[in-house]
Amino acid sequence: MEVKILTQHYDKPEYKSLDGYKKYDGYNQLKKALTLKPDEITEMVKQAGLRGRGGAGFPAGVKWSFLPKNNKTRYLICNADEGEPGTFKDREMMDKAPHQLIEGMIISAFAIGSPKSYIYIRGEYFESKKIVEQAIKEAYENNLLGDNILKSGFSHHMDIYSGAGAYICGEETGLISSLEGKKGQPKLKPPFPAVEGYLANPTIVNNVETLASVTVIIRDGVDGYRKHGTEKSPGTKLFSVSGNVVKPGNYEVPLGYPLKDIIFNLCGGLKEGRKLKAVIPGGSSAPVLNAEEAMSVNMDYEDLASKGSMLGSGAIIVIDDSNSMVELLKVLMNFYHHESCGQCTPCREGTGWLLKLSNSILSGSANLNDVALLEKVASHMKGKTICALSDAAAFPVLSFVSKFKEEFTSYATSNVALKFQATNVQSYKRG
Amino acid sequence: MFTISEKTKKFITKEVSRYETKRSAIIPCLFELQKDNQGWISNDCIESLSQFMDIPSKDINEVFHFYTMFNKKSVGDFHIQVCCNISCHMNGGLDLFKVLSDEFKIEKNGVSKDSLAISKVECLGSCGTAPMMQVNEKYYENLTKDKAIQVIKDLIASKKTN
Amino acid sequence: MSGKNEDLISCSVNGKTISVPKNTSAIKAFKIAEQDIAHYCYHPGLSVAGCCRLCMIEIEGNPRTQIACNTMVTEGMKINNQSKQIKEDVQWGLDFHLLNHPLDCPICDQAGECGLQDQYMKFGQYKPDMNQKKVKKAKVVSLGEKIVLDSERCILCSRCVRFTDEVSKTHELGIFNRGDKSEVGTFNGKELNNDYALNTVDICPVGALTSKDFRFKQRVWYLKKAEAICTGCSTGCSIYLDYNEEGFFRVRPKPNEDNNSYWMCDEGRDLYQHLNKEKRLVKVYPSKKVSTSNFAVSSSSSSSSSSSSSSSKKAIKYLKSELENIKDSTKIGVLVTGQYSVEDYKEFFSVLKEKNSINQIYHWFDQKNSKNDFDDLLIRGDKNPNTKGLLEVAKDMSLKVIDSSELKNTASNLEILIVLGPEYKKFFSTIDEKLEYFKQALQVFYFSSVKLDSLDSISNVTQIPLQSLVERGGTYINYKGLKQKLSILPQVIPKILSFSQIAKVLNGEKIQLEPLFLKTQPVKDNQFSFQKN
Repeated sequence: MEVKILTQHYDKPEYKSLDGYKKYDGYNQLKKALTLKPDEITEMVKQAGLRGRGGAGFPAGVKWSFLPKNNKTRYLICNADEGEPGTFKDREMMDKAPHQLIEGMIISAFAIGSPKSYIYIRGEYFESKKIVEQAIKEAYENNLLGDNILKSGFSHHMDIYSGAGAYICGEETGLISSLEGKKGQPKLKPPFPAVEGYLANPTIVNNVETLASVTVIIRDGVDGYRKHGTEKSPGTKLFSVSGNVVKPGNYEVPLGYPLKDIIFNLCGGLKEGRKLKAVIPGGSSAPVLNAEEAMSVNMDYEDLASKGSMLGSGAIIVIDDSNSMVELLKVLMNFYHHESCGQCTPCREGTGWLLKLSNSILSGSANLNDVALLEKVASHMKGKTICALSDAAAFPVLSFVSKFKEEFTSYATSNVALKFQATNVQSYKRG
Repeated sequence: MFTISEKTKKFITKEVSRYETKRSAIIPCLFELQKDNQGWISNDCIESLSQFMDIPSKDINEVFHFYTMFNKKSVGDFHIQVCCNISCHMNGGLDLFKVLSDEFKIEKNGVSKDSLAISKVECLGSCGTAPMMQVNEKYYENLTKDKAIQVIKDLIASKKTN
Repeated sequence: MSGKNEDLISCSVNGKTISVPKNTSAIKAFKIAEQDIAHYCYHPGLSVAGCCRLCMIEIEGNPRTQIACNTMVTEGMKINNQSKQIKEDVQWGLDFHLLNHPLDCPICDQAGECGLQDQYMKFGQYKPDMNQKKVKKAKVVSLGEKIVLDSERCILCSRCVRFTDEVSKTHELGIFNRGDKSEVGTFNGKELNNDYALNTVDICPVGALTSKDFRFKQRVWYLKKAEAICTGCSTGCSIYLDYNEEGFFRVRPKPNEDNNSYWMCDEGRDLYQHLNKEKRLVKVYPSKKVSTSNFAVSSSSSSSSSSSSSSSKKAIKYLKSELENIKDSTKIGVLVTGQYSVEDYKEFFSVLKEKNSINQIYHWFDQKNSKNDFDDLLIRGDKNPNTKGLLEVAKDMSLKVIDSSELKNTASNLEILIVLGPEYKKFFSTIDEKLEYFKQALQVFYFSSVKLDSLDSISNVTQIPLQSLVERGGTYINYKGLKQKLSILPQVIPKILSFSQIAKVLNGEKIQLEPLFLKTQPVKDNQFSFQKN
């Protein structure tokens, strides 16, 4: 069963508009929040145990508390540069409930004392951008944004900024570089954005879902929020399920929900006659799980970590036995090679190396040494760079090769049993 | 030589004052110039923008080359971008790309007679509705081969009637 | 300040305890501790990029390895780069750098001073697994008059880009595209011709940016380097001169935090040309009077019997005797530029003062209106390295300094005009005007290391060669009073009198004809070096 906390009213088209949103309790949490002390809100978010929903899973309240006590202008940035392959939840959240995000942002801005926020939205999301722009306009017209919001004395301005096609801008410092009008190259840490971020000002970057969840925490209180999920991974989470399932889509379930139930109950399982082969549980950068692991894992930060993977952005990519893991790895390597910003040498060169090696293994021109080399290259790309893209390219390689070794070996030893290539040409799913 | 229209100059001036630093206006302004220049950015566009914004041309060129949504050559009236990343791939994205490329013959300059350009692209955040394509600003999801061809044919036809 | 302890902190680098100033980066601490650390993108004169990922270190108590360039040392910090893990990281880091590098070392002019070669020799793993095709990029791209770019060799350390953004602030260079298609370049064929452009060649750790002037002239392992100062303006940047027995080939900045930091201007790099044969005054060009005198100096010095030093000696003896005949010291003019050392001035002036009662000098200075110009980096309007030194010496010796334009009124009264001529002609805009004054004086004795062709047609001028400034050595005082010592370097042209020898001859002393510092060898065939044209 889904537990619809964030997505409760997503089926109502009017929820998109301010009036519709207000009909369902909209902006009442802002009114409530404005009567609290900012620190109280931060403390609530901390106590609620809300962890970043964008990928890294860092506790949001803790991040906020890293802000230095100085007079610099603080910025809040909503990371809506959804780009992790497999992920499409932020888009739905913005399309169906833009005010939920805006309300969460105003509350968060109040909590951290920020007069200005940006929603950095990925460039391809033209439709979402229009919807959010309209919602911001409505909010300004109703004194929910601007000076002296609802006569509280708190002023906050919000703007939207469109990306232009770069996965790396989903990394928070890459996003900040991009917002500053530069190439979206991640910045050296330290300093961390909370200390020196946007234009060297203290900056908090949070994901769409994270910020929207702040509203829920205000509404339900710490205990109410913690009613769902596990002790260490409280709350609900939107999972984007894609790949070889009958009913792909976004599903909101409490953290700790069994992956097998998501696949086989909520998503209607696999197509007739197919068997589960593997699942990537947290977006393409998360290490892959084999079928056995997938069937036993619960979708929370801790249980996934114990299986050597991660929750990431909550994008579940379900892979059935019609797929060649070698081919899928090549697809992913193509992606990371395309998206490496080119700044750090191990990533810039390594992603290309991984792609070339995957290609030669797939084409049957490689030998066992090349499979070993693939792993060696990947292992030397981990933890060596400014941001985690290099790691994100290495994780799939290491997990794909170690968990599907025989498949890689067979490509590298026989004259490529091309059975996978033959079976992989599928008819269109909903054709 | 490309010259920035008065309308776009106004746009640029507004964007420059919109953000804390004028550099932030580079991306929105490149989008605007791309619209003015039949869907792509030429060196002339960059040079003019550099002069108008008083920002070194290499800074603008760095931004231009970094982001995939800025086109280095003409993409015709309809830029068809087929996602071939993992979830789409598992649902026939690559096949769809090949079918469309065969159906709408792309000439050497990268554009078909009907003014179409077709690109293979990375994840567009529509994985639950794979396979999908983006035509200019719009997403077309849950595609089949026939459906995709029809969408494009309709677009071409609507252009002709307009 | 109560002393050391407040400004210094102690830390341990590879087990060696050292004290470093507060706000020292770990990579600097490695240098202070004289411990090897691989790196490409770090440069002390530029911002931290942290992109080559080679200066990996372990910090005790921190589970993650860090880069030394972006780590600030704190009190008691223990850092090392000696673990197996770090060494392996660096080996792989180097292999990543070489993955798409063309390895065209045999035809690369950086060979011998290449960061890739040097650091691979020191830290590499020597069993590379690279077996894939390399990414092709642009080669031999001309970036204007001065520099050639080879982007395949480029390792994208971004030093050159940071230089043009942060130091020269001219913003020509960028890194375009992303991933392994990233390429350094200028926008749309723009040229890299700013006043400091050649610094990018110096800081390029590989053969991606090379100097058109220097490339393929010499393999660097046939060059020696000497420390010197640039005499192109009153900043007096510290420099290295690269030379061998064939002459001087290149000028590079020598780091000097008190003056020029890590940089120098491109104009100063022409210095070496003035030191080489091609531009030098190598023999005496006697005036009509001198060639027919008792001390007759032959003008056809090409004959092997006549050496430059003996003919110089004759010409100076003649000058001495002529000077002795003049009783009124106001009939003797001394015209000097600010291009000579304090020692040069002292030696020369003291003889003239004692023997000939000279009490004034004419100062040839052609940047009166621009002398205080400054480009906010290094280039100053006063194009003389030692204007301050000249004025100080004159003051100490109670010599009156007269502006050289005054010669307009006095030249025709002069029986002898002695000139210490300009070494950089291009900074002396009034040369033509001065030539007119020369014609008005009865006799002119023109000393210089550099040949000024327009003098040849003036019949009353005797040209006497001087050693070049690096052959003479000496002290120069820059615009802010910084005294810098120029050490004496090997002679390019043998048998030219030194300044003190000239002074001795003028003083009537005996000198040995063989110059003191003749270290050069005759040019011999060198199968590895290219013929200079």
